[in-house]
Amino acid sequence: MTTFTALLSLMFFPAGITLILSGMLYEWADRKLVARFQNRVGPRWFQPLADTIKLLTKEEIKPQGLNSLLFYGLPVVALTGALTAALYAPILGLAPVYSFPGDLIVTLYLLSLLTMCTGLAGWNGSSRFSLIGATRSLTQLFAYEAPFLLALLGPAMAANSWVIKDVSAYAESHWMVFTQPVGFVIALIGLMGKLELPPFDAPEAETEIVAGALTEYSGRGLALFHIGKSVELVVAVSLVTAFYLGGIGNPLLFLVKTLMIVFLMAMLQAMLTRLRIDQTVGMWWRFGALLALLQILVLVLLKGWLA
Amino acid sequence: MNIQQNYINQLMEKITTWARVNSPWAIHFNSGSCNGCDIEILATLTPRYDVERFGIKLRGSPRHADVLICTGPVTRQARERLLRTYEQMPEPKFVVAVGSCGISGGVFQGCYNIVGHIDEVLPVDAFIPGCPPRPEAIIDGIVKLLVHIQSGTRPAVTIKPGVQETA
Amino acid sequence: MTTDTDLQRAGEILAPFAKGTNNPETNRLDVQIAASDLPNAVSALTDASWGFLSAITGMDLGAEANELEALYHFCEGAAVTTLRVHLPRVDCPEIPSISDKIPVASFFERELGEMLGVKVVGTPDPSRLFLPDDWPAGVYPLRQDFKLEQAASVEPEKTPEPGKVGNKFIIPIGPQHPALKEPGHFEFAVDGEIITGARMRLGYVHRGIEKATEERNWIQNLYLLERICGICSHTHTSAYSQGVEQLAQVEVPQRALAIRELVAGLERIHSHLLWLGISAHEAGFDTLFMYSWRDRETVMNLLEEITGNRVNYSICLLGGVKQDINAEHSASIHKALDYLEERIRYYLHIVTSDTSFLQRTRGIGTMSLEEAKRFGALGPTARASGLKRDVRLDAPYGAYKRYPVSIITDERGDLEARFAVRMKELLVTCFTIRTIVDNMPAGEIATRFPRKIPAGETVSRVEAPRGEVFYYIKSGGGESPVRLKIRTPSLCNWTSVLNKAVGHQLADVPMLIAGMDPCFSCNDRMVTVRRKNDSHTMTWSELREYGIKKYGQGR
Repeated sequence: MTTFTALLSLMFFPAGITLILSGMLYEWADRKLVARFQNRVGPRWFQPLADTIKLLTKEEIKPQGLNSLLFYGLPVVALTGALTAALYAPILGLAPVYSFPGDLIVTLYLLSLLTMCTGLAGWNGSSRFSLIGATRSLTQLFAYEAPFLLALLGPAMAANSWVIKDVSAYAESHWMVFTQPVGFVIALIGLMGKLELPPFDAPEAETEIVAGALTEYSGRGLALFHIGKSVELVVAVSLVTAFYLGGIGNPLLFLVKTLMIVFLMAMLQAMLTRLRIDQTVGMWWRFGALLALLQILVLVLLKGWLA
Repeated sequence: MNIQQNYINQLMEKITTWARVNSPWAIHFNSGSCNGCDIEILATLTPRYDVERFGIKLRGSPRHADVLICTGPVTRQARERLLRTYEQMPEPKFVVAVGSCGISGGVFQGCYNIVGHIDEVLPVDAFIPGCPPRPEAIIDGIVKLLVHIQSGTRPAVTIKPGVQETA
Repeated sequence: MTTDTDLQRAGEILAPFAKGTNNPETNRLDVQIAASDLPNAVSALTDASWGFLSAITGMDLGAEANELEALYHFCEGAAVTTLRVHLPRVDCPEIPSISDKIPVASFFERELGEMLGVKVVGTPDPSRLFLPDDWPAGVYPLRQDFKLEQAASVEPEKTPEPGKVGNKFIIPIGPQHPALKEPGHFEFAVDGEIITGARMRLGYVHRGIEKATEERNWIQNLYLLERICGICSHTHTSAYSQGVEQLAQVEVPQRALAIRELVAGLERIHSHLLWLGISAHEAGFDTLFMYSWRDRETVMNLLEEITGNRVNYSICLLGGVKQDINAEHSASIHKALDYLEERIRYYLHIVTSDTSFLQRTRGIGTMSLEEAKRFGALGPTARASGLKRDVRLDAPYGAYKRYPVSIITDERGDLEARFAVRMKELLVTCFTIRTIVDNMPAGEIATRFPRKIPAGETVSRVEAPRGEVFYYIKSGGGESPVRLKIRTPSLCNWTSVLNKAVGHQLADVPMLIAGMDPCFSCNDRMVTVRRKNDSHTMTWSELREYGIKKYGQGR
């Protein structure tokens, strides 16, 4: 890739601006769906855009006594992590911009970078309680992260590769939602757990998701975290779709498939009272991770038997 | 060059104002109210009225909010907290006083523990009278405030829902 | 046991201490007691299991009489026994505390102390309950010689550090109403995750209403008292009207009483649905919050159709009601109730069978019958522990003799029971409303009422959605009351919550507090976690999120 095309794809399409805009689209889809499930009308299509612009133009107040470098730097790092992760993921139904052996692992680490930045931001907060809040959210991150990773590992094993591009190519001919249903369910729920972590904004009444971690932020910093979250949504959903729901293929079809996942997530969000989801963090670690491990065991055995 | 710069500035102004008007995040503060107004404010989030259509989200932290919705005659104990909440909000910020108690003390005028008018404590941009005002009136009042912000002015007079404005 | 026998029994129990007795009304017994005899008299009553302490009223009898009076009201069924203690009208007359026998008395004693300047010896927590921190010391609002100028703001005293060592202290911002932020007035001492002690301080919604009623005439007070609480406003006006009508000895037409009961029923429906939504929100289930409040709009429409306003209906008059129910109203009521009954059954099903919801409510905050009695619990919180305490049953007032309601109790006493009891109560309420609408007595809806109320004292008790509301009204024969004492149910229920919180996890606190459906000064409070060296504050939403995350639930 020449420098020019590289810059173009980094800043405009498919990463960069397009990515941020599609993040807003997905965020809107999620909020709108949850609102409809709650029997409400919900936000207008340009709502996330207005939110972001407004946040960017608000005064930024830095509370006294915080480490300046961390305060201003963390939102930037968080957003950077999310944007970089997008370079290796098949967003918008197009082949990943860059690709190298092992990029699956790198992408997953980059995705968690955002949550870790949130945790650090909480630690940096002036009230000690934001430390507790940050610790709790990081704990929950670990709870949902492991099963999610394992669930993505399943298709990677089936495709015999650590490269996202190759796994997607393999998935095109093998719809793994049918061959690895357990993995799909774990991936979906792990995805929800991951994204629902603070500070993923909820549409209705004040939901201060992070007990303190992002409370100190206003204006630009908050905007960057906000954008980072929606980008993470796009990237993670694209990964799950590509792996389980038949690879990349037609971009339009891909978009529809990702929106289907968003629909499922919105439905689960609204219906959470009815679903038998394990309640405590510990249980999810044992139950979810165990099942995912089981799935992988089955895969290993199958491969050995088939080979 | 100057004209171009001017034009760009104007465009930025327009975009910024558009964003602020369409995404007013609110924080609710009860400074001693009987809860009648607070219930009606909460009711605006529910399916029948659904203020999320206007982009209004109720936030928990003052640092995330643009509009402070305040109810109640300000009791002495609540006064400090009210001021502190207001100070924590980043600019630009607006204050809406909901209910008769916030406007004049309501039925509690003369009681020993209240300050009375919210605008003795904070600069109020919109008053929404009623005891309590209906959710529709609250939404109307806030929308009227947004219209004023859109046109670039802070409202100079009390906004009364349902009344045609002359300005 | 009838009221007469109850009163007789009380008279016998208190005979050794009584300096004088009086029966001012058929269901009341006044017993004059010396301050020093007070603890023994109270012990005698509690040992004989006679009634429960409903309220403590403090009064300034004026410069002429030169005395203060403290009244201790005990209620057994419909009978009310009042222990009256006269105190010298000096700066801090002393009276012994009774809160070792009756824990809920500590709140009343705090109020007595700060409002009237009585020093209650031996009360566990003498700090201010309602008055603000910057209130000048030595100024007592309920004294007759209190002037507004005296209440000028002063430098707040340093609040005494609660004397606990080594533990973390948490002061949560209190109940309901999401996104309200005010700093701290509950204190929970915490050891790790488990709560080891609890304290409370209110005052953010203290508006000085009791004092204000002395300056307004009887009719103006009706509108003032309505706004004590926007959720149970009708309860307050009914209690007040009932009391004043008793004083004036005016008989209210049956039709008016029936309409009062009807509106009270509708208020109960709106209040419980409101509470269901808020509790669901506290537990993290916003969908239930949206659904229940959507259905609540049906009741609001109905109330608006009948009374003209959604909140603060103001339908009570002294002597009757303002609006009548016609055939159109009846039809709307039936239609609305058809819809509501179906929805309430659905919510009852959810609160008793939804697994994730049950995890937040089953087995949590369990209060036994004995504890409920000891802590003086009221309303559905008490009934969920099997305590059959309901003014509509114990002392039927208004039209409740004609249209009685069945009382719902539950044996389990945990949070789930409290949810179930409230939903079942609503089903009973719907049935009662239908009965009233179909069998409305003919007649007037209001009767003539004098402007000046003859001198006297009365007690008026009404069952609000949250429990018993207690009014003590004293008239001097003029156009304004001399003393009006209001005791709302939430104040009593706090004792049970604070005591039950001990031993539970911090993450359970939001649901525990929500489970008692607090109404009185429902403001958000701050949580301060105080370690040995520093302290930090947690807001209510943070505490709520803490609870939600602990249980791993999201939306």
